[in-house]
Amino acid sequence: MGMINRGIKNVFRNGIRTIAIVFILAVSISMALVMFMALKTVNGKIDSVKSSIGNTITVSPAGIRGFEGGGTLLTQENANTIKSLANVSSVTETLTDRLRNENSATSNFPGGDTSSNSTTNLNSSIEPGSFGNRQRNFENQSQDTSTSANVSTQVPSMPISITGVNKISNAALSVSEFNLTSGEKIDPTSSENVAMVGKDLAEKNSLSVGSTFTAYGQTIKVAGIYDTGNTFTNGSIIMPIKTVQNLSSQTDQINSIIVETDSIDSVSPVQTAIKEKLGSSVDVTSSQDRSSQAIEPLQNIKTISFYSLVGALVAGAIIIFLVMVMIVRERRREIGVLKAIGASNVVVTGQFVSEALTLTLISSVLGVILGIVLSNPILKVLVSNSQSTSSSPGEGGPGRMMRMGIEGVGNTLNNLHAVVGIDILLYGLSAALIIAVVGSAVPSFLISKIRPAEVMRAE
Amino acid sequence: MLKVKNLTKEFQSGDHKVRAVSGVNMDVPQGVFSTIIGKSGSGKSTLLSLIGALDKPTSGEILVDDQDITKMSDRKLIKYRREKIGFIFQNYNLIPNLTALENVMLPMEFCGIRKAQRQKRAKELLTEVGLTRDKLQRRPGRLSGGEQQRVAIARALANKPKLILADEPTGNLDSSTGKIIIDLLKNLAKLENTTIVAVTHDPGIASQAKITFHLKDGKIV
Repeated sequence: MGMINRGIKNVFRNGIRTIAIVFILAVSISMALVMFMALKTVNGKIDSVKSSIGNTITVSPAGIRGFEGGGTLLTQENANTIKSLANVSSVTETLTDRLRNENSATSNFPGGDTSSNSTTNLNSSIEPGSFGNRQRNFENQSQDTSTSANVSTQVPSMPISITGVNKISNAALSVSEFNLTSGEKIDPTSSENVAMVGKDLAEKNSLSVGSTFTAYGQTIKVAGIYDTGNTFTNGSIIMPIKTVQNLSSQTDQINSIIVETDSIDSVSPVQTAIKEKLGSSVDVTSSQDRSSQAIEPLQNIKTISFYSLVGALVAGAIIIFLVMVMIVRERRREIGVLKAIGASNVVVTGQFVSEALTLTLISSVLGVILGIVLSNPILKVLVSNSQSTSSSPGEGGPGRMMRMGIEGVGNTLNNLHAVVGIDILLYGLSAALIIAVVGSAVPSFLISKIRPAEVMRAE
Repeated sequence: MLKVKNLTKEFQSGDHKVRAVSGVNMDVPQGVFSTIIGKSGSGKSTLLSLIGALDKPTSGEILVDDQDITKMSDRKLIKYRREKIGFIFQNYNLIPNLTALENVMLPMEFCGIRKAQRQKRAKELLTEVGLTRDKLQRRPGRLSGGEQQRVAIARALANKPKLILADEPTGNLDSSTGKIIIDLLKNLAKLENTTIVAVTHDPGIASQAKITFHLKDGKIV
């Protein structure tokens, strides 16, 4: 029977005590494992959130949101300034306008500028409904009463949104998906009278690829029909930005600029640089602002998990340390006997380390089983606690697509699921070994200091 | 075989120095059964622990086979205890969760002897000291005091030491069992040519020894 076997055998000298120690240690190891799993799961989720939200910055004129508010539009010069900044990989410019139906020219929906040529022969595919009518009534109250009387005789129609872009991307169009169902994409850098029409708008007006419609008093050719899965954008028109600028007499003017940076890490410095360059005339929001709101509950879980992991490991090390100190003190005489009959310090220490390792390994097996059973329930508790202490993301500000993405993140927070892989088990085993080695290091030192003569004196 | 020259051991007890062993001189030839007799606190056990290299003296020399163990390194002292000394304690000091056989095999393991060889010799020794075969696999808790001391003697003999140091070997035994144990030690000294130094306060045992050292207040008188 070697020193290792003696150490293993010693574990079972006192059954009740061993069961108590193994249980306490197993709880500590299972907690460490659960927290490690939570940490790993949350880290993975944070990475996925960051990559899904992307590294974009939205620059819009101060005081404007969609077709609400007031202020001055951005200019091409602003876009060029942003393009010249470091770490900016692309800049997408958009100009949005609204067209009213020429047959309901006097119907006053918000943005329905009756004095301009912003008219079309198309009928909107979007029904006004209670929201649209409420908006119209609100606008009518600020109009001349004679005009209002006239309006009531007209067929109401919602304005049609038209977006000019210099680059076709989901971010520029504020959509999460963009599928061309027929025809081809327009060249967004051109200034031709071509357009892509939303699926619903095309159906409403019997448009197909190659057919034409009028806007701003000009004939526009349908190059393609698209589907975004969104009712509002499926009732809209996309055209090259220069065409929209020319037709709407808004040369060089831009509604919003979508900036993409070369990495997630450079979003914040680029955002700061834009604010410095363009000052208070613009509102600058980034995906990072929004992702940080979405990630906040995850960060809370991460912080709790990290400190709990460290705490559980330290607790485990302290438990095994105290247990081993207690065992060494209890067996001082036995250690003295072993030394008196010729055992070296290495042999005696090895025996006790073997005992500590055996205790820890038994606890680890139980701890891993407990960890697997408890991981998901504990993760759920952490998630619910973090959600209740964090504000819900996605309130206010421009960027519908970002909001959609972040709301999605909020929903998937509930779906966090800890998965036990072989790597987790290996980490658990490593943690247990570290606990055992750390926990038995000091007792080993104490063993080396016990002299056989002290045992004689104790007798 | 064993020569002790002017051996002194002092302890610090609070502000005072206590001289447990004071200028002791001893000479024990090979194969002799000798005893150290004295009252409680006379320094008997301290003297034995110094001879067994369990503690270091303040001054003096201990020569075993003409080698001064007081000048040995810790590493050499472990080897000395392992190969040249066999200890027998009053409380037997067997390892409680090992069987009688495993207890006897233990010192041989420290010498690197192979398991089969260890087992064979341990069985022979236990038979020699009178432990019946059915008790070889018993743990100390299931053996009587006399049986435990027999196992302790077998353990002390395991590595064929030249010197056996016994601290009150019959102190916890009844007189008839004590007599059997002393006879066993005397026979060993004769048959195996082993030198035995036994500490006792029993004059009856001391009278059976070839040499007896009387210790009083740490001095041989």
